[in-house]
Amino acid sequence: MDNLPRALGTLKVIYDEETIRARVKELGNQIQKDYEGDELVVIGVIRGSMYFLADLTRSIDLPLKLDMIGFSNIPDTTSRTGVVRIIKDIDIDITGKRVLVVEDVIRTGLTTAYIIQNLEMKKPKDITLCTMLLNPDRLLMTVPVKYYGFEINDLWLAGYGLDIDEVGRNLPYIAQIRKR
Amino acid sequence: MAIITISRQNGSLGDEIANGLAIRLETQVISRQYALDNFYGNLKDGTVARLNESAKFFTNPIGKSDRTYADVLVERIRQLASDSADSNLIVLGMGGCIILDNFPGAVHIRVTASDKVREKSVSRRYHISDVQAREALMMGDRKHKRFVQTLFGKDIADSSIYDMIINTDRLSVDECVDSIAELARKHDIRARLAAGNDFAGTVDHQTKTVSFKNDTEEEFAQILNLYNIEWLYEPTTFPVEWDDEGNVTMAISPDFYLPHFQLYLELTTMEQKYVTKKNKKMKRVRELYPGTNIRIVYKRDFQELVERLRLFGG
Repeated sequence: MDNLPRALGTLKVIYDEETIRARVKELGNQIQKDYEGDELVVIGVIRGSMYFLADLTRSIDLPLKLDMIGFSNIPDTTSRTGVVRIIKDIDIDITGKRVLVVEDVIRTGLTTAYIIQNLEMKKPKDITLCTMLLNPDRLLMTVPVKYYGFEINDLWLAGYGLDIDEVGRNLPYIAQIRKR
Repeated sequence: MAIITISRQNGSLGDEIANGLAIRLETQVISRQYALDNFYGNLKDGTVARLNESAKFFTNPIGKSDRTYADVLVERIRQLASDSADSNLIVLGMGGCIILDNFPGAVHIRVTASDKVREKSVSRRYHISDVQAREALMMGDRKHKRFVQTLFGKDIADSSIYDMIINTDRLSVDECVDSIAELARKHDIRARLAAGNDFAGTVDHQTKTVSFKNDTEEEFAQILNLYNIEWLYEPTTFPVEWDDEGNVTMAISPDFYLPHFQLYLELTTMEQKYVTKKNKKMKRVRELYPGTNIRIVYKRDFQELVERLRLFGG
């Protein structure tokens, strides 16, 4: 694979495919142990989590249900920043169920907080977070992250779902890219 | 937790709104009927009828005790409100707004409608003529007014005893329920924070209007709005240093409080390396007020947020 790294301007591989695979397997095993016997609904956040979600759920040997949620920034004529709105809501009923939200990366936790607030209104039994990457130094919100793959710092990253201007998600590993 | 009292004109949808709120908030309506069924033990049929008909009868002592029916009514409703720390309470009629006047977190609602709309509503509901409906309303209004006047010496129509007055002429029950539930929820947050400040020895700085000190704070508030994250601006001041006489010599008022996350955020527009003093204050807050969740939003965090929003398409 040469074209994509060149287009992205990758500087170096941060987590290669093998490292990711092994870590995802570990997370899957842990989640399987923690949720055994419970009704688990795994919800992936569109679009960044898709590769992680696919690999993670396939390493959990439980009869879980799978759904996805998506949000977007809708321009608002009355404010400069617009408003964040759910553009793809979950279809599965999560009332009274245990929910695991899967993200690609959590930095400030603001988007995660938004999603959690929305899911909480559907009255699940509990909500826990699993993210591939976590930047603990930047975390502002108190969000319930229980599982994470790797800690990151302020590097610009792409691959394994992470994008820059919607490009780079299909890079099979996580690489540092040039700052834009 | 929400404590809501509803006073209503007959035929104004007040009962329907109270029931709608009860379903929404997963609680029950404390009405006159509930009071008669639950507050006084086993009442004789004659007593129930007299309590239903005569406000003055409420001022009679119960049996041989020196407490009146009104005393017990007030005491039991206040007790229910005190017991509602983690649950919701809806009091319909009975002068609830006066009984729970100044009760922290309670909101007092008056539901009204125009005479014409009320007449139509009552005539349709009870299959009676408009003239009969008008008479029924007149008698009902008089009865409500007399009850509150007799027991509490207050005028039920006095707008100053309510937090919100709703005219249902053009509003649906759902719309009213939404508004009242949201008002009660937000008011409860402010009341709890004020109570927390009392308890912790911090200073309650909640104001009715927000006046940001700089553009960064305003922009950050917009970002929180963007994510639909509820915030209060500088609601609390934490004293962190005192002189020998106990006067506060150093304090910090974090810029934002996010009630849903029980989190205080302090913004700084300075570079991270210049915020040593602020970091020290934060450390003192954590030491002096254990359990307080407080974080600094550094200039870099803020700039990154704005940048991400730009990339995100905002």
